[in-house]
Amino acid sequence: MSLPLNIDPQQILLHLLNFVVLFGILYFLLYSPVKKFMDKRIEYYKELDEQAKSDRDKASESKAEYEKKLEQVSSEIEQEKREARKAINAQRDKSILAAKNEAEKIIDEANKRAEADRKKMIADAEGEIADIAADAAEKILLSSSVMESYDQFLEAVDGDLGGADDE
Amino acid sequence: MEKKKKRRFFIIFACITILLLIGTVLTKPVGSGEEVGELMRDAVLHDVNKISLFGIMNVNPGVISAMTVTGIMFIFALIVRIFVIPRFKMVPGKFQMVLEMLVGYFDGLAKSNSPHRNSFLGAYVFSAGVYIFVSTIFELFGVQATTVHNTIISLPAPLSDINGALMLGCLSYMVILSGGIAQNKLKGIGKTLKEFSLPISMSFRLFGALLSGALVTELVYHYTHLSYGLPVVVGLLFTLLHALIQAYVLTMLTALFYGEVTE
Repeated sequence: MSLPLNIDPQQILLHLLNFVVLFGILYFLLYSPVKKFMDKRIEYYKELDEQAKSDRDKASESKAEYEKKLEQVSSEIEQEKREARKAINAQRDKSILAAKNEAEKIIDEANKRAEADRKKMIADAEGEIADIAADAAEKILLSSSVMESYDQFLEAVDGDLGGADDE
Repeated sequence: MEKKKKRRFFIIFACITILLLIGTVLTKPVGSGEEVGELMRDAVLHDVNKISLFGIMNVNPGVISAMTVTGIMFIFALIVRIFVIPRFKMVPGKFQMVLEMLVGYFDGLAKSNSPHRNSFLGAYVFSAGVYIFVSTIFELFGVQATTVHNTIISLPAPLSDINGALMLGCLSYMVILSGGIAQNKLKGIGKTLKEFSLPISMSFRLFGALLSGALVTELVYHYTHLSYGLPVVVGLLFTLLHALIQAYVLTMLTALFYGEVTE
């Protein structure tokens, strides 16, 4: 019995055989290798992406670490500065104290020396006054009357004393 | 100078066309109504112009076309596999891009329609799509073969043979059924059997689309008066269009139903 429209099971099977062969050819020679290559490329770019992500993460970690270290170093520097300032202040105070002591010592010595000089000067001046007075008395006695001589003497003494005070 | 050349070319072209038209009108028409009828009948049924398959049996020309297409595809695939695929680059060239686009399209079609068990479906729709497209385009080349009656015919598209279209429609249905069984066991069979009209609709859609293309082309070629300019539209554009459309429709339907039964 023939089927309508010239449908022939044998020829359907021939077409099927042909298509199965074509399927095998296309699958093994084209579809599979091209798909494998595409998957490989996807894998390659995924790896690159992951690598980039891990690098970025590492960089972020390093950055955070460096920032932390930087903060630590800054605080250390601040601490060092504070200590240095304290040491400098202590040293300065010590120096100032030493300088003050030295200055007081110098002033004391100077005062002592000045006192000694004054005393010596007064002593020297007393000697000189006595000599001047003796010289003046001698001159007066030798040159004029007693009153004039006395006046002259007083004037001379005043003059000498004034001159000595001026000096 | 250029203008002069162009004018001369158009004059020669117009003369040849006019001469051919006059010749066509003056010569006796080639076919009668009966001959066209026979031609149409044979294009549909393939029961007259059989071709001997290596002397083993007489088959429809569609079978020979199918085998020729497979041979051509085999040579093409072999050349691509040996010479092109090993030279594939990470940044693809034009041909590599076309191949990857083709494989990627069918793979994507399978994955988007069927989230489960889609690796076989991808390969199947790729093969079916390429087969439908290439075998339909094959009709354009007018490869000639000798029938058992010693007449020469040009080989038709394999799927314009009802047996080829039935094979592809039923095979697609079997693929859908096997996917359903593999994924959902008995429930899968039930889901697939629910669409019992699918193999018939897919087969006859393919057969009808390709046969109508072949019939219109045959009809146009049969009358010499219509063979100026018209075959460019009818033969080339129609064939290209329905090659693309049928490849798309069958693969899309197969992927869609496969996805549905493997849910």
